[in-house]
Amino acid sequence: MGSDSADVLRGTLDLLILKTLTLQPMHGWGISARIQQYSRGVLDVNQGSLYPALQRLEQKGWIASDWRTTENNRRAKYYQLTASGRRAVGAETASWRRYVEAVDLILDIG
Amino acid sequence: MSLWSGVRARVRALLHRTSADRELGEEIQFHIELETEKYVRQGRHADEARRLAVAHFGGVQKVREEHRDVRRVRWLEDATADARFALRSLRRTPALAVAAVITLALGIGANVAIFSAVNAVVLRPLPFPAQDRLVVIGENNPEKNWHMNWAAPANLLDWRAGVADFQDVMGYFEGLGNIVLTNRGDPQVLRLSTVSGNFFSTLGVRPALGRGFTFDETFSSGTHVVVLSDKAWHERFGGDSSIVGRSITLNGKSCQIIGVMPAGFAYPQQDVDLWRTFEWTTEFRNSVAFRRAHGPRAVARLKPGVSLAHADAQLQAVVERLKREYPATNKYMGAAMVPLHDFLIGDTRLPLLVLLTSVAFLLLIACANVGNLLLVQATGRQREAALRLALGAGRGRLVRQALTESVVLSLIGGVGGLALGWAGTRALVRLQPADMLRVREFGVDLPVLAYVVAITFASGLLFGAAPALWARHRDPAESLKDGGRAAVQGGRSRRWAEALVVSEVALALLMTVGAGLLVRSFMQMRRVDPGFEPDHVWVGAVTLNSAYDTDDKVAAFLRELQTRARALPGVTSAALVMNPPLTGPSWTSDFIGYGRPAGEYGTEVAHSLVSPGYFGTLKVPLLRGRDFTTQDTPSSTPVIVINEALVRSYFKGQDPIGQRLAFEKVPTPKSTWYTVIGVAGDEHTEALGIAPRPVVYESSLQDVIGYTRVAVRTTGSPTALTAPMRSVLRDLDPTLALTNVTTMDELRDASLARSRFMTLLMLMFGVIGLVLAVVGVYGVLAQVSRNRTREMGIRMALGAQAAQVRWLVVRHGLRLTVAGLAVGGFAAMFATRALTKLLFGVAPNDPATLIVVALLLAATSFAAAWLPALRASRSDPMAALRTD
Repeated sequence: MGSDSADVLRGTLDLLILKTLTLQPMHGWGISARIQQYSRGVLDVNQGSLYPALQRLEQKGWIASDWRTTENNRRAKYYQLTASGRRAVGAETASWRRYVEAVDLILDIG
Repeated sequence: MSLWSGVRARVRALLHRTSADRELGEEIQFHIELETEKYVRQGRHADEARRLAVAHFGGVQKVREEHRDVRRVRWLEDATADARFALRSLRRTPALAVAAVITLALGIGANVAIFSAVNAVVLRPLPFPAQDRLVVIGENNPEKNWHMNWAAPANLLDWRAGVADFQDVMGYFEGLGNIVLTNRGDPQVLRLSTVSGNFFSTLGVRPALGRGFTFDETFSSGTHVVVLSDKAWHERFGGDSSIVGRSITLNGKSCQIIGVMPAGFAYPQQDVDLWRTFEWTTEFRNSVAFRRAHGPRAVARLKPGVSLAHADAQLQAVVERLKREYPATNKYMGAAMVPLHDFLIGDTRLPLLVLLTSVAFLLLIACANVGNLLLVQATGRQREAALRLALGAGRGRLVRQALTESVVLSLIGGVGGLALGWAGTRALVRLQPADMLRVREFGVDLPVLAYVVAITFASGLLFGAAPALWARHRDPAESLKDGGRAAVQGGRSRRWAEALVVSEVALALLMTVGAGLLVRSFMQMRRVDPGFEPDHVWVGAVTLNSAYDTDDKVAAFLRELQTRARALPGVTSAALVMNPPLTGPSWTSDFIGYGRPAGEYGTEVAHSLVSPGYFGTLKVPLLRGRDFTTQDTPSSTPVIVINEALVRSYFKGQDPIGQRLAFEKVPTPKSTWYTVIGVAGDEHTEALGIAPRPVVYESSLQDVIGYTRVAVRTTGSPTALTAPMRSVLRDLDPTLALTNVTTMDELRDASLARSRFMTLLMLMFGVIGLVLAVVGVYGVLAQVSRNRTREMGIRMALGAQAAQVRWLVVRHGLRLTVAGLAVGGFAAMFATRALTKLLFGVAPNDPATLIVVALLLAATSFAAAWLPALRASRSDPMAALRTD
């Protein structure tokens, strides 16, 4: 792990997973790979917390899972957004933006 | 959809815990394989790639655990663990558990019993199809002060014909008559209900066998038809189906049985044996009495979809027409409708609601007591709680643990309460005064069970709230700092306990004030002078049959009956009276004095038909003039005796002897004038609780009727007269039967029965409430004095006297009690108004009752405070100081 890659904050992991899944249904490894890729290697998902997070989101009804076959003909569990998950992405994104703006405001002091 | 998939995920997880684990394993394995491939692509050796992939993933076992935590249905597993823990800790403190369960069982049991009655009487609909369309039509007459009175037959028929919104209107006599069945072995007395021909069809109930009456059979046709109840069919006719169509002899007349009603149909009274129609004759229909004599209770069935208001508008139109067409009888006669169910509940609703309130208070007191017990126990376990907090248990988890314990406790109490309540309902049914609850039995059915479950959980949460909230505010550091010292109840916990005790005392005061007011009413009512001397008087009824078809035959029979009764050993006098006092007047009428100007009439004078010697037999004082004699006959001047109430209200102090009265508003040349020959003291005609009304007594020798009661005064026990009187009647005429056998003492008791029933129940609940509240006071003070042992020890070591220490504890108890009494007393000033209609001779805000009850509560809690005070004052200073 590079020293400039950051652990994903616990609270933001859910949002990142949801956002990633808006692209297409994915399996767990795919999700963690995509997050790393899109953050240009800055964000490294702690894989230990990825699967509990997926389970949590499934219980909230924001994502659904099913077993599918990958392009390499292997069995994998794919996750996809549900309708309410799609709504949640919007709400979570907005609240994250507000949070970031607020932090920025404070950091800009002086 | 999303909710559903979430639920599905949980259920799947719960059901297939191992398969979910396996799936996760597979998923992780897949992940690590892809990660390994990634490293291989980056040029790593296969073994190293795999090692890196596993390292990057982190602890597989930790992921499994976390995954499982999320997946699990956490609360359910926690709840079972909590419940198990609760049972264990209850077993550790059996005394507390038993006390709590008994207290709760008492509270819940009382509620179950009373709610069962409310459910059976008030909530459960009448057992008729579409019963919400059945309404009572009552006659209202401001001049006679009538409200929802019986209908005049002619008015009933006019409503039926004139209101299009009515599907039908029927009538029936509310009370049952007695009728003697002969020619089937010994004469048997049957309970008879007299109804209109459309009685069954309007209620919507078909006979199980044969047919019901037709509307035309309301009127006399020369033949007589009857319908049997299921009970009579089985008890008197052996359930024989071939009985339908056969004739039986009732009161000497041949009557054909045309049908048998289904089991469970017993209207208007539970003990009805058979129904017969009014058999109104053409002569009666053409007389003024058909519109003047009010007898049947009128019940209408509304057409489907018709509103009460719409039907009422039509009814009022008919009422106005009748007022114009028949001013002599209907000038002031209004009519109103009330749903049948509401009407029948009528005077039972208020007593039941009062009882329900009382038992609700009882349960609240019980909850406060148990809450206090748990609080004391929680204090003892505060170190345990603190330890768990310090080790990272959530405060919410501790609160839930406390609540689980109390719900487990209340569930056990609820089971006990259900058993107690079931026994209570049986006792209620057995002890109820004459059909007050209208039902013979009310089992524990679904609404009752739902109610038990609801109050059980509610009380568990209620009494669990105090310790739970207290647990929330604990500071672990504070408790652990106490070191090895025995747990001491902190300030917050004590304030909770004190608040509970204050509310207990307030509720107990409310309950006992209510009970006290009813006790005073009951005593007042018992002290009422009925106007006669009820002791040693036997009463029985005789109905003559069709063999006595002339007045002479009737008079001769009754004279002989009286003579033979007087000849029985121990008998001092015997007389006839159609309706003895306390059973209601025979009938009422208007009246006017001879020579009075038109309009100076009176209304609602009660008539009583008595034989010579009646006043002497009942010991009603004859204040002026003379009694009837055998010289007053149908051919001599009609004479009457009037009571003082009539002298006061109509003769206003003049001497009424020799004055004449006619029983009409406007006398005609054909009117009969009755001469007043005597004035008697006031008897309570209807009930002890209802003031005497104006009465005229007529002589049964002048107005001969083939139905009477015989009143016999004896020197011995009146009940011992029943057998000799039966044989007297059998000797005179074996086809007659003695009915309504009772004594005047029993009639007087019956008049008190409702008041006694209510008073007993309220008193019982009040006493339980009071005891529980006092136990609550004791509990708190005992805890307080235990906690202050050291303080007391120091005080005594510094020279405080035992009395001073005692006073310290007692003062604490009195302060709580007085606070509770103040709150309760303030509430009582408003709450007792609800009792007004149940009270007699005492005002709902009667200060004497309030003061006496408050003093009683203060005295008992003083006694409760004395024990802990005594213990505190006996604490040995040295021992107390060494406790640590």
